[in-house]
Amino acid sequence: MEAHAKSVTVKYDMDVVRWFTIAAVIFGVVGTFIGVYVASELAWPFLNFDMAEITFGRLRPLHTNAVIFAFGGNVLFATGYYIVQRTGATKLWSNKLAWFHFWGWQTIIVCAVITLPLGLSQGKEYAELPWWVDIMIAVVWLSYGLNYVMTNVIRTTSHMYVSNWFTMGMIVMITYLHVVNSMAIPVDWATSYSIYSGVQDAMIQWWWGHNAVGFYLTGGFLGIMYYFIPKQSGRPVFSYRLSVLHFWTLSFGYVWLGAHHLQYTALPDWTGSLGAAISLAMIIPSWGGAMNGMMTLSGAWDKLRTDYILRFLVTAMAFYAMSTFDGPVMAIKSVNALSHYTDWTVGHVHAGALGWMSMISFGALYHMVKKLWNTEMYSDRLVNIHFWIALIGAVTYVVAMWVSGIMQGLMWRDYDEYGTLTYTFVESVSAMHPYYVMRAVGGAIFNLGTWVMLFNVVMTIRQASATRATNPVAARA
Amino acid sequence: MEYLHTDWAAMTRNDWIGVTFTVLAFVAMIAVYIMVFNPRNKDGFAAQADMALRDEGDENNSGDKK
Repeated sequence: MEAHAKSVTVKYDMDVVRWFTIAAVIFGVVGTFIGVYVASELAWPFLNFDMAEITFGRLRPLHTNAVIFAFGGNVLFATGYYIVQRTGATKLWSNKLAWFHFWGWQTIIVCAVITLPLGLSQGKEYAELPWWVDIMIAVVWLSYGLNYVMTNVIRTTSHMYVSNWFTMGMIVMITYLHVVNSMAIPVDWATSYSIYSGVQDAMIQWWWGHNAVGFYLTGGFLGIMYYFIPKQSGRPVFSYRLSVLHFWTLSFGYVWLGAHHLQYTALPDWTGSLGAAISLAMIIPSWGGAMNGMMTLSGAWDKLRTDYILRFLVTAMAFYAMSTFDGPVMAIKSVNALSHYTDWTVGHVHAGALGWMSMISFGALYHMVKKLWNTEMYSDRLVNIHFWIALIGAVTYVVAMWVSGIMQGLMWRDYDEYGTLTYTFVESVSAMHPYYVMRAVGGAIFNLGTWVMLFNVVMTIRQASATRATNPVAARA
Repeated sequence: MEYLHTDWAAMTRNDWIGVTFTVLAFVAMIAVYIMVFNPRNKDGFAAQADMALRDEGDENNSGDKK
């Protein structure tokens, strides 16, 4: 351990972190609720109620934007500002800029809530918002990037912790990806045309799409993992050297994967082969990182019996390992021939979103709520209940989609002795119904867990406020 | 071998820029691996493994920058 050469007293800027934390908890409820509704529409189509604004095609992008950018974004910003201050032993470079970032991001979310149900969409996956919102995103994101980088510059610790590397990798790459992917010619306030066409447009789309998964939903959340698992378990990182290797291997490797979304299309064959080969190679660093997170618990496994927050964090690592194996397997051309365009893809994405991203987020949020409000949770039992609800919901959802997806693929490719397709497309849709019901139920269970969390967090904050009001000294202790 | 055949004469300026960046990225990746696996750097990395645990308390006194 390094000797502390100088002693400084730092009062962190944590108000903005508290607000990002509360926003994340609220959007966790909202984003998954919209997901349950659109899943229910697929199982019971009458839920469209013949209203264009609430049809699947309009609410589905609202769901993805809500969970990725509203829930996931607020989690990343809360944890990012929390970690960079504490590991750098410094305040934020600019607290005002952080508040601009907070209100700017929430304004963008409001714009999404208004425009997407109205049908204003650029038709690009995970980048549907109108061109003027893309500009707002770029401005607000750059304010975050500047503040984060400068806070690292003014840190008072000599080493920059690995979590901050992951977050800065995300900031740099998402800036580059968002700007390039969003290049468009505006026609009016609601309409624009991408500057790319044909197969180039498809390639840029999935270069953005998969790297949003790689650097935002994976890299950013790995930064959370490398701080909060050691923190919650009270154990140092199992191998810090492996964490550095993990960061650089992901950074160099992820950018090659996008073409595996476009197997058997007009894209040159070699790009798909390259995407598949690098995808398989990425199992090594991904599993190395997952093992690093799990092995950090060496000597502290017994804590899993009583520490419910740690359960979230460790279960997230198991899902991370599972989905980073599932993904490369699906990238293989022969497997992709079966899995592409089926619900297997939906199952894979939700193994990552519900099992990895959400679980690590819930664990980090519970940890931060206790620290930020200087109190214990209102109910540890409710944290445990949330954990089991979330786990059962996620597994139910993912299993339904895996079974449904493989069944779809097999039905679509089945043909009889005369070479005629055995099943019509509508027969495959009909066969999916039980699994779509199961998916909606799994999602509803998962959503119930977010309500439990919201209640527990609200009561915890109220409890902390009451303690502070009656006994300010004890509240500070 | 036919699959790997490259028509070098048909390479455009964009192709060469792409190839150059790809090779540079590959070299940089190798350099990072050498840095990480160099035995001389092992203790330096290991010394940071508990960094997340050093920041307890509402106020922080762990700044060690010279």
